[in-house]
Amino acid sequence: MNPLLTLMQINDSVFPIGGFTHSYGLETYINKEIVHDAKTAKEYAQTLLEHSFYYNDAAFFHKAWQLCESRATKKKIAELDALITAFKAPYEIRDASKKLGIRFLKLTEKLKPVKRCSTYLKAINTQELHGHYAMAFAMFAHAQQISYTDALSAFYYNSLNGIMTNCAKLVPISQMDAQQILFKLQPLINKLVALQPELDDDLIGNCCIAQDIRCMQHEKLYTRIYIS
Amino acid sequence: MDSKIVLNVAREEGRSRLKESYHNAPYKLTHYGAAGLTDHLEMIIMSASPGIMDTDYLHIDVHVKEEAHLKLFTQSFNKLHPMKTGAGQHTDVHVNAGGVFHYIPHPVTPFKDSIFKASNHIHLAEDAVLMWGDIISVGRIHMKEAFEFNRLHTQTKIFRNGKLSFIDNQLMSPKSQPIQKMLFFEGYTHQATFLFSALFAQELKQELDEILTVEYNDISYGFTQASTDVVILRALGTDGELLYDFLHMLGQLCWDFTQHKLSEKKENSMVRSIEKEKEKEKEKEKEKEKEKEKEKEKELVEDKKSVRKSSRKVVETGAIEGVKYA
Repeated sequence: MNPLLTLMQINDSVFPIGGFTHSYGLETYINKEIVHDAKTAKEYAQTLLEHSFYYNDAAFFHKAWQLCESRATKKKIAELDALITAFKAPYEIRDASKKLGIRFLKLTEKLKPVKRCSTYLKAINTQELHGHYAMAFAMFAHAQQISYTDALSAFYYNSLNGIMTNCAKLVPISQMDAQQILFKLQPLINKLVALQPELDDDLIGNCCIAQDIRCMQHEKLYTRIYIS
Repeated sequence: MDSKIVLNVAREEGRSRLKESYHNAPYKLTHYGAAGLTDHLEMIIMSASPGIMDTDYLHIDVHVKEEAHLKLFTQSFNKLHPMKTGAGQHTDVHVNAGGVFHYIPHPVTPFKDSIFKASNHIHLAEDAVLMWGDIISVGRIHMKEAFEFNRLHTQTKIFRNGKLSFIDNQLMSPKSQPIQKMLFFEGYTHQATFLFSALFAQELKQELDEILTVEYNDISYGFTQASTDVVILRALGTDGELLYDFLHMLGQLCWDFTQHKLSEKKENSMVRSIEKEKEKEKEKEKEKEKEKEKEKEKELVEDKKSVRKSSRKVVETGAIEGVKYA
């Protein structure tokens, strides 16, 4: 199989795992009109990637990739899964990670079965483990001979693409603005991917207080289009 | 300066009592109000120092033994003075089975150039209960020192039955973060985190769903089920005292809810034990009846035997008589 094409397929925003149904707190930001135009949308996206995603899902991806590089024993996988569950405080964010993870594993199992992924899915189904998308994505991408830099860059890009698509739908900002932000933030993604291995273990799971609150407030929003 | 505070609480004769305790300068640990006024124990940590200085390190070690209930208070805002190296604080908490621990300290105020790392490791037994608060201001606002601190890192880990249940990890570093803006303080100057951990945390969450339904002008807050046994509430505000009162109000609500659940549990266990005793008595009565029936049966059998014997005697005598006639 062609690693580039596989990466493009599993990272596609329409890859049917339900990614488009989540806003990860952005819906609250738009509802409260904190994000209200292209400028604030860019500020939100940039801060989220640099100060939240880098310390959380991207860091969890990195940890899972490291496990795949060595001997990813069942015990180590279980420890990482439990650690991520403990970090993700807002219920909707934790649940989104689980749901996307399960759907990703089920779908990729039909494309190309990977023993490590199947074992992970089985453990999630028996409720032995919680299940997280960042881990599932790293495990499958690693098995498909996709390079670390490509897989992690794509992982960042997918998150940014989701934010921009949601902003275009909800704020709304123009598609042109959304595409420009996506393009302009490429250097930031390059920087974060290069810095990812240097992240201190002590800072993994670092939380941005207001972002966390907005994710919690989403549970009580009067009208909700997104699940999280 | 290295300091240590050790606090052991155990339940004796239905009341929570202070057992071993230790503190050294500049700290003092004493009863909060009159000792023995309440069934639970209330203690306060006091300090003779104007605040935490560079290279200070404090270790707090709290042990709440079986069925003991402790409320731990602080005296005033925890002031972090300007530093070059940094200061630290580590808190170890062990709450044994049936224990309850309530700790919502005053806000931390980091002065200009302060560097501080606080880590909290909380170990809860199967049915232990925790109410925990953490409030951080961004500095002496009226001294124009807001967001002038160097680095403030707080880590709180909750373990239940030895299993990791929740982690809160927060680094604030104004020089490397857009800390006043989106995702961080968003125009506010204080933040608070409240944690409630119990086996019945989901029931408390349902209570909060009904109670906390309004939005406030001064505080922006959110709460969620952080795990099956942890409910978390986070808030942003502009007044440390207000957030302190808000968290104490929540703490008291959780304390009352816990006491209600514990009394419910006691009542249930009492009802269960009464029911068990009744069942035992019934079983005993049944056994007695069975024994009586057995005895009756025995008597009947013996009666029948005696009847048979007497009839045999009649036959035997008849036979003898017959022999005689013959």
